[in-house]
Formats: sequence, structure tokens, C-alpha cells
Amino acid sequence: MKSFFYKSILVFFLFLAAFHFSFGYVVKKIKIELEYTLSKDKLEELKIKIREEMQNAINKENYIKPEDALIINQFIDKVRNDLEKNK
Amino acid sequence: MKLDFYKQKNSILLSIFYLTALILGITNLHDFGIHIEEKFHRLNGHYWLNYVAEQFGLVDLQRITEIKINNISDYTLSPVSHYNKWGIVLDLPTAFIEILFNLKDISNIYYVKHFLSFLIFLISSYFFFKILDKRFDNFYINFLGLFLYVSSPRILGDSFLYKDVLFLSFFTISLYFFLEAINKLSIRNLIYFSLFNALAINLRIFAIFIPFFFIFILLIKNFYSNIFLENYKKLILYIFSLTIFTYIFWPYLWENPLQKFIELFSSLDYLIKLKILYFNQYIPNEFLPNTYIINWIIISSPIFQIIFFLFGFLFYSIRFFKRFVNIKDKLIYNDLWRSKKEEKDFIFFLLLISFFFIFIFFNATLYNGWRLVYFLNIFVIYFGIYFLYISLKYFRKNLLTKNCIGFVIFLAVSYNIYSLISYHPFQSVYFNSLLSERLKNSFEGDYHGISSKHFFLKISKIDKREVIKVAVASHTPLQRGLEGVPPVLRKKFEIVGQEYHSADYIYKNNISEVNSKLNKKYEVPKNFSKIYELKINKTKIYEVYKLNS
Repeated sequence: MKSFFYKSILVFFLFLAAFHFSFGYVVKKIKIELEYTLSKDKLEELKIKIREEMQNAINKENYIKPEDALIINQFIDKVRNDLEKNK
Repeated sequence: MKLDFYKQKNSILLSIFYLTALILGITNLHDFGIHIEEKFHRLNGHYWLNYVAEQFGLVDLQRITEIKINNISDYTLSPVSHYNKWGIVLDLPTAFIEILFNLKDISNIYYVKHFLSFLIFLISSYFFFKILDKRFDNFYINFLGLFLYVSSPRILGDSFLYKDVLFLSFFTISLYFFLEAINKLSIRNLIYFSLFNALAINLRIFAIFIPFFFIFILLIKNFYSNIFLENYKKLILYIFSLTIFTYIFWPYLWENPLQKFIELFSSLDYLIKLKILYFNQYIPNEFLPNTYIINWIIISSPIFQIIFFLFGFLFYSIRFFKRFVNIKDKLIYNDLWRSKKEEKDFIFFLLLISFFFIFIFFNATLYNGWRLVYFLNIFVIYFGIYFLYISLKYFRKNLLTKNCIGFVIFLAVSYNIYSLISYHPFQSVYFNSLLSERLKNSFEGDYHGISSKHFFLKISKIDKREVIKVAVASHTPLQRGLEGVPPVLRKKFEIVGQEYHSADYIYKNNISEVNSKLNKKYEVPKNFSKIYELKINKTKIYEVYKLNS
């Protein structure tokens, strides 16, 4: 009876520990990831990054390569023409 | 005769220790600042005193407490009914003392409370000494345990602040009677155990686990004797008295006790949720790592205590494992313990392991370091003393090793004294000296806001203007600290929160409820310059910034 009692306690404890450190751990990890991805802090971090990139762009003499600028201009003209046609 | 002489000598040593502790406590009482929750606790005390007065028809007392409640309430406090689940163990008696002795000055009211809290802590230390004294037959080792219990810097610093160390105190006394009741199931022991257990539950709901551990130990003992059958009347009396004491000491339960008690557990879901600074990262306290408690205990306890504990715990774990694998059903000798003394070790081991895993399995929402689990410190010291005791016993014939152990003990004692002196009066932000400056400052610092008193006194010395506007670049309600300074100075300061543009000075510590690396609400504007910084042993307590002229 005594041994059975102790072994039952041990099995119960090991079951809880295994559950916590496997399934519980994964759930916690997912929650943390979600929290970090969707948090206000993350958005704030993103805003800061965008601001920094824009500032970098302003500081550079040529931010867009001439060949890229040409393609973008042509693309904008194309879009504008198509929009005009279908007004 | 020889024995009497030793007993007398030991009593004298204990008396000197307590007298010194008391004198030091009283003389240094006013050095400690006012913590940010004092106002709430005072309000809590008067709120429940008012309720008790109403229940017993004490009209005068009810009238006085109503006036007090109205005077205390201000914009920084939510209605007390939001927090009224907090225990009344110290709050209510001190509210009564305040009225009885007509204490007028707010700082006196708080310091009386600090003193009572410290006194309860000292009383609990005697119970801890008694626990050790009944386990280890070496007075000096037990005395060392008492000294470490009282001189752990964070614990001593917080012992004046009647929050977590108050629980530690009642937990210790409760544990003493737990052990006494296990040893002898007398009505006297059971009544005392239920009384102090009820007071501990009143302060921290997780003390509700203690009766379950008690029943568990009795269950094990029941394998050899019919404890339950022979003592069922006493055990019923114990459960009954625990219920009655919990009810009596908690006016919150007086109406609808069962429903309100259940509500206590559901209200745990609404525990404070914020971001905390941990290893220089702001992490939400709902997702703390499993190592949070262990790490905090290691970094903020004196290094010798930690080493003693680790060895003691390791030694006991090995012994426990050996006992466990050798259990035999029919032999009393082959069980988890072999003597009354070992039984105590097992109880300490069981409680430490269980509480630790309860916090991990239930994903406890902790904050402000490990203050909510400061009661674990008695386990740290117990196993530390266990290690020293068995080492001295093992090497009793080897004089050199014995002297070496004696020298290490001397170093441990000196180290604690040095830490207490060097951190004074900020022992509650203690970090052990193995940590680098960078690491020390990558955790929450003065979360109690006790440095606010130091700050106001400092500014009043360097700036003689009649009105000084102070902004706060931290998550600290600085205005509450004003209650710790003389009334003349209180009028001098105007707290403007985060309206930095209208401030003359800015107070800043490293407490923030948001990620201050990204959220700029606590960023000090560029037109302010740092004029002062209080650092103790490389731990930053607070900074002062002044508006550039």
C-alpha cells in the first residue's frame, strides 16, 4: 500500500511535469510569439524602422537606381493612361 | 551544571542579538523611505475598521474612520472596493492604533507601521530559530541560521514595508506550529497552527496549500499508526478552527463567506499584468520563464547563502532518492525518513519543491523580482544550515577542515553585515556582488519607490525656491513619497507626472510598465541634463535631471 501510494504520487507529479514541459511549453511559446507579433510594442518598432528607412532615403543622394526609376516612371505612366482610358 | 551554564550563555547571546537588532531597527527606522502602496494600505485599514465598527454598532469609531477615509482618498487611488480582498492582519490594527493614539503626522503613522512590521519579523525569526534548534543539536549553527534569516539584505530591507516579509513572518510561525503539530497532535498545537495558518492565508491566498501538506504528511504517518482513526476529533477541530479563524480575521468574508471565498480565486485572473525588465528585456509577466524564481533568488541573495543552499539541497536530494528507492512496505525504517529530525528535512523538502512547482505549473503572474515568494528564503537558509551541520559533523575529527568551515562561516557573516551597511537604506534592491554593473541594472530596481524620500530631501537641499515642479520619467507614483518628508517640504513640491515641459526637475528610476526602449513616454527630453545619480554598489537607484537654463 505504502509503495503504491508513493509511486502514484510520483507518477502524478511526472505526468504534470511532462505535460507542463511539453504541451504547456508549446502553448506558452505560441502565446509569446503571438504577443510579440501583435503587440503595440512590435507596431511601435515597425513604425520606428519605417521612419529610419525614410530618413535614410532622404539622406542618400540617389535612393533609387536610374534604371529602376525609369521602370517605375513607365509603370506609373502606364497605370495613369489605363485609368484615363477607363474613366 | 555544565549544561545549565551553556544554556545560560546561549540565552545571553540570543538576548544580545535581539537587543542589538531592536536598537538598530529603531535608530535606523527613519532612514527608510515610504513605499508607493502605503497610502492604499492605510485606506484598506480604515475601510475595514469602518466596516467592523458598523457591524458592532461603534458609532464614534465609524464616524472617525469615515473622515479618515475621505481624507486619504485621492486621484491616485482606485476605490478600495476594487482591492478589498487584501488581508487586514496589520492594516486594521494599525488603523486602530492611529486613532487610539491620535497620530496626526502621516509619516509617524507610516513609521509606526514599519516598526510593527519589523517587530513581527523579529518575532518570526525566533520561531525559525526554534525550528532549527529542534532539528540541529548545535547552538552556534542554529544561531547562524537565525542571523542569516534576519540579515538577508532584501528580506531585512523589506521587513519594514509590511508586505511580502509580513507574509514570510506568518508563514514561518505557521510552519513552526505545523512541525509541532506533526510531532504531537495536541489540541494546543493544532489551535495555534490553525490560527497562524489563517493569518498567513489572510495575507497570501496560496497559504491555503499548507493544510493540504499537513494532511499529506499525516497520511504517510498513517501507514504505521492509525493517526486518522485515533485523532479524528482533533483533526475535525483543526479544520473547524482553521475555517473559523480565516473567517474571523477576514471581514471580506463576513457576508456570503463561501461565495466570496470562491471569488478570491477568480479575481486572481485579474492580477496586475505588465511588462517587466528582466535580463535587459521587457517581457510580459504572464509569460515568465520557468527559471524566473531561481534566477532571482541567485542574483539577489548573498552568494554564501546560495552556495550553502545548493550543497544542502543537493545532499538532501541524494539522501531522499536513496530513501525512496529503498522503501519497503512492511518496514518502518525503510521510508522517506528514518527519524523525527529527518522527518523535518522531508517536510521542508516537500514544501519547497511543491511551492516551486505550483508557481511554475500555474504560471504565476509574478513581478518586482521575487518579492511575492520571499517566503522561500526560509527554505534557502534551512538547507544552507543543513549543509553546514552535516559538514561539521562529518569533519568533526578533522580540525583543519573544521577550522576552514568556521572561516567560511565567518566570511558569510561578514559579507552579510557588509552588504547591509553598504546598501543602507536600500537593502531591498540588493544584488550579490558577483554580478557586473550592466547585469545589476538590467533588472527592476526600486519598484517600491522608497528612493522618493531621498530624492525630495536631496532636491530641497540644492534648490531653495518656494515651489519646485517635478516630473516623473518612470512608472512610480512619486507624489506618495512626499508623505515621508517633513510637512514644510511637502508644500514645496508639485508633481506634474509626465508633463516634462512644465517641470524643473525629472526623477527617473528603471521601473516601467511598458517597453521603454520602444515606447518613449519615459524618455527624458533633450533640454534636461543629468545632475545627480544615486548608485549603490553599482546598482542604479535613481537619477535626477534638471531643466537647462
